[in-house]
Amino acid sequence: MSYQGEREPRVLKHRLSSRLFHWGLVLGFIPAAITGFIIWLKPGSEEFVNMAMKVHIIGAAILTVAVISYSSVSINRIVAFIRQISEWGYNDFKWMMVGGGYAHKMILKKEISVPPMGKLNSGQKSMGILMFHGGIFLLFSGWILYSFIPLAPKELIYWLDFGHLWIGVFLGLCTLAHIFLGIYNWEDFKAMFGDGTIPLSVAQHHNPLWVERDIESVQKDHKSDSEVIPV
Amino acid sequence: MKGYQIQELSKVIQIDRKKCKGCDSCKEFCPTNAIDGKYGTVHSINNDKCVFCGQCLVNCPFAAPTDVIDPVDQVIQKLKNKQITVVAAIAPAVRVAIGEEFGMEPGRLVTEKLYGAMKEAGFKIFDVNFAADHTIMEEGSELLAKIRHYLLGEKVEHHLGVLPQFTSCCPAWVRYVELNYPQIIPNLSSAKSPMMMAGSLAKTYGATDVWHVNPEDMYVVGVMPCTAKKFESSRAEFDSAAEYWKKQGKTASYPDVDTTLTTRDLARLFKKLNINLNTVYDFKDSDNPLAQYSGAGTIFANTGGVMEAALRTAYFIITGSELQTLELTPVRGLKGIKEASVTMKDIKTGKELIVKVAVVYGIKENAVPLIEQVIAGTSPYHFIEVMNCPGGCVNGGGQPIHAMGTSWLDKWKVMLPWN
Amino acid sequence: MASYDYVEKAVKVSRREFLQVVGVAGAVMWSGAYIATDLIQDRSKYIKMRAQGIYKDDAKAKVRQSHNNQALNEMYSKFAQKPLSPLSEELFHTRYTDRTKLG
Repeated sequence: MSYQGEREPRVLKHRLSSRLFHWGLVLGFIPAAITGFIIWLKPGSEEFVNMAMKVHIIGAAILTVAVISYSSVSINRIVAFIRQISEWGYNDFKWMMVGGGYAHKMILKKEISVPPMGKLNSGQKSMGILMFHGGIFLLFSGWILYSFIPLAPKELIYWLDFGHLWIGVFLGLCTLAHIFLGIYNWEDFKAMFGDGTIPLSVAQHHNPLWVERDIESVQKDHKSDSEVIPV
Repeated sequence: MKGYQIQELSKVIQIDRKKCKGCDSCKEFCPTNAIDGKYGTVHSINNDKCVFCGQCLVNCPFAAPTDVIDPVDQVIQKLKNKQITVVAAIAPAVRVAIGEEFGMEPGRLVTEKLYGAMKEAGFKIFDVNFAADHTIMEEGSELLAKIRHYLLGEKVEHHLGVLPQFTSCCPAWVRYVELNYPQIIPNLSSAKSPMMMAGSLAKTYGATDVWHVNPEDMYVVGVMPCTAKKFESSRAEFDSAAEYWKKQGKTASYPDVDTTLTTRDLARLFKKLNINLNTVYDFKDSDNPLAQYSGAGTIFANTGGVMEAALRTAYFIITGSELQTLELTPVRGLKGIKEASVTMKDIKTGKELIVKVAVVYGIKENAVPLIEQVIAGTSPYHFIEVMNCPGGCVNGGGQPIHAMGTSWLDKWKVMLPWN
Repeated sequence: MASYDYVEKAVKVSRREFLQVVGVAGAVMWSGAYIATDLIQDRSKYIKMRAQGIYKDDAKAKVRQSHNNQALNEMYSKFAQKPLSPLSEELFHTRYTDRTKLG
């Protein structure tokens, strides 16, 4: 339903299934990342580190369930995501060179023009590639390290653990940056944790190519409604 | 610390706190639950329970447990001392594994190269395979005396233990029994392990008849696939050679085996002396009676080997003729519990004897059920071979560490490491 | 419910694409499983190889039974007399300790 002229038009950026998956990431990955650091550095008493380990496993389980559910229910969103993070061009190179203008805005308080971006900007696409592949590796290596150590050869375990630690550390740091930038972009934060919508003007500013090519008005006749997946 | 006699080593394996990740892998291999520390936390070894088998060391993906007894420099000092005769007592399992520390594949039989390297380093050689044959004669005779008494009803003049007889060559197993099941001590064979027989024989017969030196000027070094042997050589009662000589008027005190090197330690010693097993000259030592051994002696390194060797001799002594097929396949292979029964016609009385035997490795999973049977009086066996390490001494805690292997054999259940 | 005016166009995955992805995923997982089961079966290979080396030592030995070891029999005749003799008991047999009683 759209109201003519009464309030600004809004676009649905994150539908319910995606928002729920994001919650799965928040409740699964973040406890796992924090406890991961504790397990690595082992500060404090034996009880504390053991509890951290238990929380780590629970977080990993939540994350695994989220990933499996999302893959089963919304395979098309995953395909969409993979398509988005795979689309790179010269605009992305230019965007990366100026850091999307964030450094200029935050430190120099100056707004500069940046090349037009799609639904995900180049930074988000990089994060997407890292999280997608790194995340799969962390889940895969993590479950093997939990269940199969006496069974599996030692050298394999050693390198899986090495990868699990360093990819985990790296993705943990990326997530910190992601949280910071997410809060900085308050409209998108509200969307992801709220109803999924942002004002059209904000989308036009941050994601002009997406607005141009990939969205459509909800006022359509029923024939093509079946192609639209609103929720 | 509980459970130690005076002067025994009480710490052989310690966990490096910087390397331990708390993965609980070591606990899966420990036969005595001697590792403390919850999942995810830094672990430590409880020396009150540890039997020093070294399986935690061999199987840790992060090399956290460490062998803290390092006699390599001490042995090199003794080798350099011209007044001292250093004798190396070499175990069967060493000759198929030491090549791995020099780039060879596992299982390469390098006996002559090993002898050559020992000679170059300055060791005299006492092949524990000879001592293994010796153990068969002593332990086998003990078993046969028990069989003649308990199964055939004959009177025997020796003081006898009881059946079933458990082997006693594995020091981790012996310490396990002493700590956890002292009630079956009468079932343990009274025979020493081959290494300890080698020690006392070296400092008596070896000193007088083979090397012609004073026993107090000898330094016997065990070369073993086993970390528990480091503890065994320190056991308080093992100074029989010195006691024997004291009865003949001498005064010196010394242990039968002065110290023990693992296969890994020996490889390090060779490397420190710039001896390369690949390039060293072969040496057969054919003039040395203490380097002569039978096939039965060498198979002690494998699970089932002690049993097979004992049965070859027991069969001959009882029936008067040799076994047709010497390879006793029911006791060979990597199953945790193996059984066999051998039918023999006693040449003295004409009676038929059926000797039932069992072979186990892995104390926690496979030996304990058999021990419980013995305590309950329901054991069907007469002779039981127990080795702590999966597969036998070839996979001992002192062997070269194989990166792509583990000791996890014939068990498919994956245990939750949740404490 | 949320009110919005625009929405993303539907993402269409053609059957061919879907089969490609599933095919690649399946191939990756099957190769992984194959390698994993191979690694797991091979984990005890080094033990078997060492054991085979030992059995080879036995098979090629000139003497294969302990009672036929001439040097050993010579030791008995020159020194210890016979198994379980008093000297053998003294030097080659031992007693054990109930360590539950040791403090």
